[in-house]
Amino acid sequence: MSTSAPIAITGMGAISAIGEDVPSNYRSLRISRHGIGPIRHLDTPHRGRLLVGEINMSNEELVEQLGIPAGEAYTRSTLLALLAAAEATMGIDLNDGSRTGLISATTVGGMDATERYYEDYLNSETHRHYIPTHPCGYSTEQMARHLGVTDFVTTISTACSSAANAIMLGARMIKAGLLDRVIVGGTDCLSRFTINGFNSLMIYTDGHCRPFDEHRNGLNLGEAAAYLVLERAELVTRQTKTPLAYLSGYGHANDAFHQTASSEDGEGAYLAMKHALEVAELDAGAISYVNAHGTATPNNDLAEGQALLRVFGAPESIPSFSSTKAFTGHTLAAAGAIEAVFSILALQHQEVFANLNFSQPITALGIVPQTTLLPMQINHVLSNSFGFGGNCSSLLFSTAHD
Amino acid sequence: MIKPIYIHGKGAISIQPTTEPGYFFDSILPYTQNPIPAHDPDYKALIPPLQLRRMNKSMRMAIFASQLALREANRTTVDAVITGSGLGCLRDSERFVESLLADEGQPLNPTPFIQSTHNMAAAAIALALKCNGYNMTYVNNANSFESALLDGVVYLSEHPDHTILLGAVDELGERTTEFWNIAEYLKQDRPAVPTPLAAAASPGEIAAEGSTFFVASRQPGPSTTGKVTAVETTLETDNPASFVNQFLQKNGLSTGAIDAVLLGYNGDSRYDDIYRGVSQALFAGIPCVGFKHVLGEYDTVIAAAMALALQLLREQRIPTALQLSGPQPKELARLLIYTQRRGRNHGLILVER
Repeated sequence: MSTSAPIAITGMGAISAIGEDVPSNYRSLRISRHGIGPIRHLDTPHRGRLLVGEINMSNEELVEQLGIPAGEAYTRSTLLALLAAAEATMGIDLNDGSRTGLISATTVGGMDATERYYEDYLNSETHRHYIPTHPCGYSTEQMARHLGVTDFVTTISTACSSAANAIMLGARMIKAGLLDRVIVGGTDCLSRFTINGFNSLMIYTDGHCRPFDEHRNGLNLGEAAAYLVLERAELVTRQTKTPLAYLSGYGHANDAFHQTASSEDGEGAYLAMKHALEVAELDAGAISYVNAHGTATPNNDLAEGQALLRVFGAPESIPSFSSTKAFTGHTLAAAGAIEAVFSILALQHQEVFANLNFSQPITALGIVPQTTLLPMQINHVLSNSFGFGGNCSSLLFSTAHD
Repeated sequence: MIKPIYIHGKGAISIQPTTEPGYFFDSILPYTQNPIPAHDPDYKALIPPLQLRRMNKSMRMAIFASQLALREANRTTVDAVITGSGLGCLRDSERFVESLLADEGQPLNPTPFIQSTHNMAAAAIALALKCNGYNMTYVNNANSFESALLDGVVYLSEHPDHTILLGAVDELGERTTEFWNIAEYLKQDRPAVPTPLAAAASPGEIAAEGSTFFVASRQPGPSTTGKVTAVETTLETDNPASFVNQFLQKNGLSTGAIDAVLLGYNGDSRYDDIYRGVSQALFAGIPCVGFKHVLGEYDTVIAAAMALALQLLREQRIPTALQLSGPQPKELARLLIYTQRRGRNHGLILVER
């Protein structure tokens, strides 16, 4: 490492099923109000059957709120991203001469338009201006133009670990001296592609997801976008700003076990958490709260639980942990970013957020998540994101004063 | 700031027989179609048939190319896998969209969904090599490989003792190609490879596919063919020549220090002037090498250009079919690659002996 100076987080923005900005997300977390319900906006035969974490704004409403000229092609993931990124960068002068980058994560990209117009494109000219929106990179490029970021722009897609990896790359590029400031995060809207995908894998619950519960039977999908602004510590000092928190560690590993399933001992998850602790130069005992990946699929929660046991030792040594996916649904490429925002909120407000819908611990693990809002001293939060393809990431957030 | 990384092995699948030992573009496979699928090697030679059956095109191309790179580098494993793919596993994406449009609400086959995720090629390599290390996939249109390369440079500066696989893959999709035709990306009038350039160019690209992988580390070794000393991208620029010139200045180089420049002429008359402008402004009298007129256009074709650059360093000559202008080089020690796609996603890679 070229430097062990922590990376300052100076801005954040979020939109999810539990709120259209960071304060409203926090209010929902605080009163344990989830955002899972029937499908309202997405046009699919699964409407009325599967529950989702949908943001209650139509694309037309999002376009209007963002002031996007009529006739321009923006898909839903990009619209959500623009709202969250605008909140994250509010009050930050992106054109102050600092080298500024944008690293965004998405798995859906413009697939929601592609699946909607798949036949229509061939037969009618009406929606053909959406054809270029399909690639994931297109969304990031539209964001870059809106934000006025030119120094560095890239897009990551590593399934459900995508946003965590975007945040990690941002930190690494600052440490490597390549950037001074970087907007990092991810976005994924709901799509028929992903809902049918997880449904076809039979890991989509028929009710509300129950992370870390013995009788969990799958996930709810959700949609979200969230972005952080990371800055070089010296840049923050020069501006006499107080960071919201610090990104003190990050780790990534591949489970190298199976295309979709996690290994029984959670090797990838274990390595990711271990590396994050190493980068932060912290012992596991320093962690006060783990914002778990906790998708509520039988396989993930078992593997993640095993990995937590390996990192922290016995069940009683595991710090307070919760999965917030019962609030938002699993937001795929956005999950690592929305949960980064929740981790920072936990540090700011010194509260652990609840793991909803839990009643019985997983027999094989004997570990119990925090099921109610818990005020406590929190200095360091570990946030996990794991994905298909074995991609496992863990981020470590710390209070400003530690 | 950026420290060079050494390349010890490379493997490339393209529309030319680049997987054949010793192939160096002295004969060019001609085509008169658009799009053009990859010139497939015998995948069974390097991938067990049982695994091969379950792999989509991106996965098999990536596994094969990465195996070639590992063999050339005389290695069986690496510490990290970093890839780029503009469009990911297109065919499985199309297949899953088509199945849900036909049968949504009925049980669907999950395999195309699983294998549609953009990180599946990197994941397949990790699985094949049992590599638990860092594993990343960039999906940034025509700058996807450059992002992977930059991450590789940063990764190796953090882990100076590690060896990594760096690469890229992009496959064609049938419906996607139709969409691109509608969007007027593709050449419709008499498509050909080698693609006519300059005065003979016409509007549109030749769509192709391929995969290129490299074994890289911070130390030179017995099989080292060259080093990458700089990489840079920009989404848009009003002045490509100035973008290229500033890149050279940042790296302490004058244009005269470049022995040959690899330019991404693809025979699309709407955009090839960008290269002509850069060439005239900066590289008059310097040998100019083309590659897209024989490899076609896809988001990560710059990775194939990097493999070509390393081959040029080794062979110390420019194949006739690839030299577009300039004199025969006296020496090939420092090569610059510059590409863009449809006027955007400008990318630069500096490769040295």
